[in-house]
Amino acid sequence: MQPYQEEYIANLREIAALAARKKTEGYSLTGYQEALVKNRMLIVQKVERNMELLREGLFPLLDHLLEAGEEELGQLQEFAGRLFQVGEELDVGLFCQIHQALLNCARLKKDQNGMIRELYWLGIGRNNRCSKLIGLEYPVIENYIFEMRLCFTEAGAYLKYFDEIEDSETRGYILRARANTALGQYASASEKIARVRQTLQILQDHYYQDKEPGLPWERYIFMAHRQMASSISYSRENVMTAEDVESVMESVYIVYQAHMQEAAERGEHPPIHSAFNYCAISYYCGLDTFDGLLTKTEHLMDTTEITDFSSENMYGMISLPAFYLQYLKQFPERIPGRMSYIENLYRRILDYVDVFPDAPENEMLFLYLRQLANNYIETADSIPYGAFLLKLLMRFAPDIYVQSYIVAKAAAAFCEMIVAEEPGFFDDIEEISRIEDLQEKKHEVGNFAMACGLLHDAGKINFINLYAQTGRQWFEEEYEMTRLHTIVGESCLRECASTRRYAAAALGHHSWYDGSHGYPDAYERLACRERQMVDVVSLVDWLENVTDAQCLFTGVRMTFDAAVKTAVSLEGRRFSPLLTARLRDGQIVAQLERAFAEGRKEACRQLYEEDFIFDHPAK
Amino acid sequence: MHNSENMENSDQIIEVQRKRIAELEREITTLKEALMAAEEANKAKSRFLSNMSHDIRTPMNAIMGMTSIGLSHIDEKARVHDCLGKIQTAATHLMSLVNDVLDMSRIDSDRLTLNEEPFSLADLIHDISVIVRPQAAQKKQTLKIEIGRIEEEDLIGDPLHLRQILVNIIGNAVKYTQEAGEIEVWFAQRYAEGDSDRVWLDFYCKDNGMGMSPEFLQKIFVPFERVHSEATSKIEGTGLGMSIVKNLVERMEGQILVESEEGAGSCFTVNLPMIMAPQETTALHLPEGASVLIAEKRKERAGQMARYLREVGLVSVHQEAGAQAVTWLTQAQYEGHMPCAMLVGEELSDMQVLHLASHVRQLAGKEFPILLVSEADWVQLEYRATRAGINGFVPCPLFKSRLLGTLSKLLGESGVDDDQAQRELDYSAYRILLVEDIELNQEIAVELLSVTGVQVEVADDGAQAVEKFENSPEGYYDLIFMDIHMPVMDGYEATRRIRGMDRPDAMTVWIVAMTADAFVEDVRQAKESGMNEHISKPVEPSRLQEILYRQFSG
Repeated sequence: MQPYQEEYIANLREIAALAARKKTEGYSLTGYQEALVKNRMLIVQKVERNMELLREGLFPLLDHLLEAGEEELGQLQEFAGRLFQVGEELDVGLFCQIHQALLNCARLKKDQNGMIRELYWLGIGRNNRCSKLIGLEYPVIENYIFEMRLCFTEAGAYLKYFDEIEDSETRGYILRARANTALGQYASASEKIARVRQTLQILQDHYYQDKEPGLPWERYIFMAHRQMASSISYSRENVMTAEDVESVMESVYIVYQAHMQEAAERGEHPPIHSAFNYCAISYYCGLDTFDGLLTKTEHLMDTTEITDFSSENMYGMISLPAFYLQYLKQFPERIPGRMSYIENLYRRILDYVDVFPDAPENEMLFLYLRQLANNYIETADSIPYGAFLLKLLMRFAPDIYVQSYIVAKAAAAFCEMIVAEEPGFFDDIEEISRIEDLQEKKHEVGNFAMACGLLHDAGKINFINLYAQTGRQWFEEEYEMTRLHTIVGESCLRECASTRRYAAAALGHHSWYDGSHGYPDAYERLACRERQMVDVVSLVDWLENVTDAQCLFTGVRMTFDAAVKTAVSLEGRRFSPLLTARLRDGQIVAQLERAFAEGRKEACRQLYEEDFIFDHPAK
Repeated sequence: MHNSENMENSDQIIEVQRKRIAELEREITTLKEALMAAEEANKAKSRFLSNMSHDIRTPMNAIMGMTSIGLSHIDEKARVHDCLGKIQTAATHLMSLVNDVLDMSRIDSDRLTLNEEPFSLADLIHDISVIVRPQAAQKKQTLKIEIGRIEEEDLIGDPLHLRQILVNIIGNAVKYTQEAGEIEVWFAQRYAEGDSDRVWLDFYCKDNGMGMSPEFLQKIFVPFERVHSEATSKIEGTGLGMSIVKNLVERMEGQILVESEEGAGSCFTVNLPMIMAPQETTALHLPEGASVLIAEKRKERAGQMARYLREVGLVSVHQEAGAQAVTWLTQAQYEGHMPCAMLVGEELSDMQVLHLASHVRQLAGKEFPILLVSEADWVQLEYRATRAGINGFVPCPLFKSRLLGTLSKLLGESGVDDDQAQRELDYSAYRILLVEDIELNQEIAVELLSVTGVQVEVADDGAQAVEKFENSPEGYYDLIFMDIHMPVMDGYEATRRIRGMDRPDAMTVWIVAMTADAFVEDVRQAKESGMNEHISKPVEPSRLQEILYRQFSG
């Protein structure tokens, strides 16, 4: 690799380490706060350096890629490979940019092998993007799926010329691309399963095997069986045909047997993942009862160790509970008998997450946590869902937690000032309108604003890599993608009764007051009962963003005074005039600025003491 | 003398009086008639006012109410914006009421004159579509506007009043059809018998709305008559629309017919004679014989596109799914027979059309023409579509002139070599042997192949095919389409024997398997027996043409 590429990668690792939660040992509160500020400054420096490296090193190369020599291209490919590899996700956005550029170059040069290879890698990068959208409805994410799938489709289309393409590596890419066309969600389970079935048919075909015996056929076939076995999640939706179940059953059996054998050779238990698939398919084939499946799943979850950070144990500790909860949601009558088990499960998971070594690049952990967050079941004594989400933010994206806390604090302060002046301001919200006592109303509105502020960015959990660990400004497509945090947040908060009230703030806080700009389209201001509160969160969040949080990614930074003036100038368009009118009052602005500063201090204290969970109104 | 004079005087007086009485009686009759007319006019005025007052008051109430709400929330721009939008809607409706009344008055007083001016039927139908689609979309109705055979797009007539007729009828269908209902609009043309200057424009509008009772159907064209029921009480209207339509159609010497069943829906049929305008011939730059990829799930729409393309000598290849389209294009690129353009339709079976367009733009390069053929409003779609790589838009209903005109313009821009394509298409010099045992299949295949001009010979089974090939001079057959399951000798055996002959063309003649057996092993078996490729039955015309194009033009 080129020196600038090495330096960029080193900076990414350092940024990820700096952005992770800081250990508090050996620090006083003040020392800890100073350390956080110092870290932040270092991150800013590293990001700026990275931007320089890309501008001076990479971008000129991409601009003249057609003239680049073999050595330079090889280095670029190696650089891209280091940005995103198995178990380590340093910068998938840049990985995709580089492979897109290499693809364009290959197209122009009519380099067929290069095209096939680059289509494959671009598809892999885009698949990673799709995995961040777990929990969203298919129509919201289908665009991302199509972009990924079309890369694999195009590369896989060359299968017809398998004979004529002589390069072994390219033949491997063609087969893998063909297999990957089954990745991601499909409109129907059968469609996806049929796709994997065709892949298996091709891979098991001796015609192809004989043409290229050097390829790892056994591994390809095994991976396809694993892909088929993972389709078991569709069976929970009762949409599989008998033929589909049979295909899945066969693959599950093959994967299980292979894992059993490997485990036996090493003298270990069979891996949890395939053991669970085996239990699940036994249930779907009528070989086991639903309670039997639940009990076996519990048994598998109980075999996990809190100090084992292997991918299998992580699966059993976080992802398997997500499946378990999803089953229970389908049969809610089974929940009362398992409440204490569920409560313990959550505690164990949070303990595990807490001691999990700082491995911010471990995308699999985030993936599993997203699965869990999307299937959370709240019980009377369980950790409240809102608190669970905040714990995850605090653990993996402390900066986002601090920003959310500042927004919460400032929103609460602003709301209390508004209610003191105009008690009926939030009376569109039924629960607020019923309160007659002014003090009680102020308190309740303040609490509501606090919770909305804390949770308005809950959707960013899906994009932790982008928000907390990006070592450069965002590319346009990343910026587009982060917009989905509003929809993800809304969908997350709607999951549980205790957080449903705050979903509107998550959905609408980036929408313009006059509806002319902003996002998402799903938010209709006039149809929203909580719109005044959403307006407050929207304004305060914007002030926070332009004065601090987003500057690294968007390149916008203002002083507080300048931000207030800009907000007033956007009156009636971006922000509610009922709120910006109050920003003309110097006293209110001063109080708001104080709330911002206090909010930051308190958030840092909470990170230091880690005492936030059970004290917040979001519980 | 005096008496006689008196007698004469009294007769004269009587006569004068009689005349006066008659005169008075006439005056009384006139006055009575005037009174009756006045009373009738008064009644009509009252009836009119009674009918109109509710209809006028409703939008006026909305205007007053929303103005008041807007004023009380003057600081909330979004709220005021919302109120103004509603005021605009109510005012537009009010304006249409006033226009209806004025139109009726013009018709009643014979002041309505019809214009005779040239107009484009395609433009007119497109304008109508733009007007009525949003109304139907608001009620989540399916509004299909399709056209049949339309040869004369340039006509002479009164486009303003023609539009009024059509918008009134379709607008009524939207109004009186429930949410999520279906409305089907159809336009076609036929030449007038014995009049070479005229064509008949045939139009129907069919809905599955509330329909009308037989009693109401009798009064549908009477002014101010409306369907009265709970369901219609909230629907705004004067009851003048149909009366105006009927008058206009009659003045245009056309006919209007209504069929309706209460609770099931209505169908309005209108036939209007139109004068044909002299055709303006625009030179099209279309590379005859070149292929065009159609990516569209809707078979009818794809068929329509294919027909228009075929009429100017272009070969279409149809794919319903985006993934299939990308696969086909990738393979076409590999084999060096890229189509000259891609038409993307309204929907695909697996993805959104803009995503396909975006990927194809990268796959095929910046010069490759990608046209969107859609019912959508281009103004709303333009930004996203052009970003996705679409570089031409053809609105629906699909007119041949629009499709070919846009395609020609884009192909002109992308610099496709017309002459080269022309040279590539000369299928009449090629000969095909079709081996097929079922007579019906033979007929269909011959029909499909013949439209390209290629010479087709038929063999009823494998043995006949071997014999024909054996007895033919070298290079006689350029291509063989071979069925697999046949009596006497199957396709595999026949192919093996042909390939085994001791003559130079035995190994080179291109043999294509035609069979419904489409598993991987069937394809392989066909290849192992010596066939070059495999197509599934039932054979798609576009697939056949694609093979001909590749073999003879590539």
